[in-house]
Amino acid sequence: MQPISYARPASLASAISTLAAGGASTRVLAGGTTLYDLMKLDVEQPERIVDINNLGELAAFDTSGDELVFGALARMSDVSADARLTNEFPALSEALWKAASQQLRNMASLGGNLLQRTRCAYFRHGAPFACNKRSPGSGCAAIEGLNRGHALFGGSDACIATYPGDFAVALVAFDAQIDIAGPDGERTIPLSALHRQPGDNPRHDTILLPEEIIVRIRVPADIVGRASTYHKIRDRESYAFAVVSAAAAVRFEAGVVADARLALGGVATVPWRAREAERSLLGKPLTPETARAAGELAFTDAATRQHDAFKVELGANVVRDALLIASGRF
Amino acid sequence: MQTRSYTEIPRVDAYDKVRGTATYGTDNNPAGLTHGAFTTATIGKGRIAAMDLSAAKAVDGVRLIVTHEQTGTLKPARFIMQHGFAFQSYSPVLTPQVAYRGQPVALVVADTLEAAIDAASRILITYEEVPFASALNSKGAEAVPQTEAATAWPIEDIVVGDAEAAYSAAPVKVDGTYTMSQQHQNPMELIGTVAAWDGDHLTVYEGTQSAGACKFGLAEQLGVSADNITVISPYIGGGFGQKNTMQSQQVLTAFAARELGRPVKVVVPRRQVFHDSSFRPATRQRVRLSADSTGRFTAAIYDVDAQTSMHDFFQSEHADTAARHYGYGAFRSFARLVRTDTPTPGYMRAPFEHATAFAIESAVDELAYELEMDPVQIRLLNDTETDIVSGLPHSSRHVSKCLSRGAEMFGWERRTPAPQSMLAENGDLIGMGVAIGLYAGAGGPNRATIRATREGVIEISLGVHEMGQGIRTAIANVVARHLNVAPESVTAILGDTRSGVPQMLTAGSWGSASSIPAAEAACEALRNALDALGTNAPEGSSPAEILTLAGRSELSVNAATFAPGQNKEALGEIDTGHVAPTGPMYPDFVTYSYAAHFVEVRIESTTRRIRIPRVVSMFDCGRVLSPRTARSQAIGGVVWGVGGALREAGEVDERYGGVLNADIAEYLVPVNADIGSIDVGFIDEPDPMVNRSGIKGLGEVVLAGVAPAITNAVYHATGIRARHLPVRIEDLI
Repeated sequence: MQPISYARPASLASAISTLAAGGASTRVLAGGTTLYDLMKLDVEQPERIVDINNLGELAAFDTSGDELVFGALARMSDVSADARLTNEFPALSEALWKAASQQLRNMASLGGNLLQRTRCAYFRHGAPFACNKRSPGSGCAAIEGLNRGHALFGGSDACIATYPGDFAVALVAFDAQIDIAGPDGERTIPLSALHRQPGDNPRHDTILLPEEIIVRIRVPADIVGRASTYHKIRDRESYAFAVVSAAAAVRFEAGVVADARLALGGVATVPWRAREAERSLLGKPLTPETARAAGELAFTDAATRQHDAFKVELGANVVRDALLIASGRF
Repeated sequence: MQTRSYTEIPRVDAYDKVRGTATYGTDNNPAGLTHGAFTTATIGKGRIAAMDLSAAKAVDGVRLIVTHEQTGTLKPARFIMQHGFAFQSYSPVLTPQVAYRGQPVALVVADTLEAAIDAASRILITYEEVPFASALNSKGAEAVPQTEAATAWPIEDIVVGDAEAAYSAAPVKVDGTYTMSQQHQNPMELIGTVAAWDGDHLTVYEGTQSAGACKFGLAEQLGVSADNITVISPYIGGGFGQKNTMQSQQVLTAFAARELGRPVKVVVPRRQVFHDSSFRPATRQRVRLSADSTGRFTAAIYDVDAQTSMHDFFQSEHADTAARHYGYGAFRSFARLVRTDTPTPGYMRAPFEHATAFAIESAVDELAYELEMDPVQIRLLNDTETDIVSGLPHSSRHVSKCLSRGAEMFGWERRTPAPQSMLAENGDLIGMGVAIGLYAGAGGPNRATIRATREGVIEISLGVHEMGQGIRTAIANVVARHLNVAPESVTAILGDTRSGVPQMLTAGSWGSASSIPAAEAACEALRNALDALGTNAPEGSSPAEILTLAGRSELSVNAATFAPGQNKEALGEIDTGHVAPTGPMYPDFVTYSYAAHFVEVRIESTTRRIRIPRVVSMFDCGRVLSPRTARSQAIGGVVWGVGGALREAGEVDERYGGVLNADIAEYLVPVNADIGSIDVGFIDEPDPMVNRSGIKGLGEVVLAGVAPAITNAVYHATGIRARHLPVRIEDLI
């Protein structure tokens, strides 16, 4: 049996140094909902596990100020129920509670949720499937395979695995930043810079270094959050990943759109901000027609394959509906 | 004949189950237990050229690795439909052969489950792979006319009149092809075996629908006497046909336990269950249905291609049910079995009837629109008194009553017929659909032993298994009425080969219809034996009161019953672990159970999400024995129908074989949020002929017809005819 060393450091500094000493085959354990799953599948075979659940300072979250601050260890269920979030950032709350199941949300941490790995079956289920992400150079079984759930945006000839999460999609719409702790202290990056498109090296999902930990997520408490939604269309009404999802927010001035936010989930290799579609709405009233046009624009460059072409039409309507739901909350 | 309806009693084993005190097969941990895990094949088909066990053997705690090189003394399983005991004739790990991806190729036994799993992943195998065909439509999947398939019980195509001529002459007709993906049962309880030898006696703890088949099948495969095998299966955590015969792991677990001299437990993980157990075969059905201008059917021509394996012919019984949906003027069927490199498909709940109802009831809906007739009216018009295939009467057929009562409960009269004619306030398209379903009213022999004591204990042993359907509750309700005792005083010993009564396969909705008549006969025999004690006890005295008066501590009697047309030979079959069902064709009549389902769908106009806010279903299953568990079973069947129509599909990548979405996160079944209100009702009229208890089956008819009621509602809502299941968003965009 593969021995695993397990550490449960009492401080962030200790966690970082344990990670740094451990190297590439070390994994951080937070809620465990992804890591344990992938370990059972032999996709993750860590030699060292650093359990960060003793780092109480990472579990807090504060939504009272000009900036929403979420500790990376805050649980999805706790955050989704936060009253200010529900009222002033419904897209963030909805993205959390429409994910997974209540049991998983009770365990899963926000930081871990950002780092959730793809649900691509060819990635998850090992031999005999070709997968460049799991086994670099073996090929991509999905490109010519059952690719209904794969990416229309941000894919490459090497990988079209979809980023599966919801919360990150909503966060990128609101220009969230993340603070990352490492041996040299903290650094801050936009969340949109965390995930990598696969290119010719699909192995790494993010730019996070092995010795780094996401410590918090920060979101400007912008007024645009109030009229927002996370609209998630899936194959069943709960406990399913998005077929297409859209995080949308709008702010109006004098009856026309002054600010629009739009990000797509379930259809891209990374949380996908649809900036051109956002811009197309500025200065216009939001009507079913303008909303639909924005949706069409958002999917203009979609690279469809055998089993996912329907998502262009579906996606345009998901964006339309999301924008209309959001504007109804203005 | 029971003339009164039964009253509702609580589920007798509910407390045991919710508190976790009911002991399921692999809950048993005999002293010295070891744990097994399988290594599974990664190729689609071929043979093992070489195995390197060295890394696996080096894992701490590994005690035994069973490969084809050690199993030479084991006999292969025999397929149940070749008068055997197993879900298929192919036995993994008995030869170097690989018949399908995901089959077991080695069993590792270790002191801990973790060590076994780890070692199983370290066996290195070199394969010789050959081309394979893993799905119904795969290149190389050979279609064999069913009449040419060698089987123990051949099934002929059905010919009633000249259907081709009647069809071509008809003024109104439809011609549709309906396809269904393969589907997989996912009982909460996984397949698994605990095997423990005491000298030359083997005890097996197993969740099985047929303890008898396991006992006699293991004896055959292991080369030991069945007298030396005990199988204990008092509770099953859901069977749904997946556990209705021997599974691959049983003989290997028993073999490993014998080799080791220690008990072995093997629980087959979910992913492996998808790959090495039976499943509902993929089907392609073509229905040509015609009517005269008044809507009376003149002909139905029914062609079905059903998936089977390379090693067995899993027979298609689709046409048998198709022929009984209505009183067609003429009927002709043609069935082909399509051989694929998969495990042998099997009897997943309403194994044929779910698919058949989808095809027939969709075609009827299409024809109703051609005729501009109401979908309920066209069904009522084409109901039939007699069975068109045999000319025999139905023992009972209350499908029209199911339709009428169901329509009233549902509020069918509020439906406007044109597609897209009903809109909700929020803009959702509203659709209302109806369909009927049928399931054969089977029966069989059963033995019973009943024992009454002066202390008030009533203990009854029957040849039937508790699978969650609530048979213990039904038995308690029936015995309590017949002996004038409280249901709580009745203990049923089921699924246990030590009970002395043969444990017949519980499947095909014949569990109650075969065991309850035996229970009634045993109660009657006990009554007679108590009367013979000559105590002159007052009318209505309980067995305990009579025994007290007679000065006896206890009394035990036996009984045996058969279905109509059966005799002692049928008992001989179940006494040796085989099955002996009969029906729906009895010597003088034909028996089916019936369902009518009414479904309302709401479809979001933009995203085309299908939601089902309400279902009304009405059933004719003869006498209802246990209203609470019957209702529960019916609701569960409707939920399954929602899954069957909108969610479930085993996804096969034909380049690899096997099942891609082999877990219950990705193989979608309904969740609570998918289910709205489900109202179920029962005609509850006893069948006057099929058995003394007046009961027909319920467990499967509840599912038959749900899917087409949904797709017919989808058509009504959208004008789009869904001819493939499951229906997903993309089908409506």
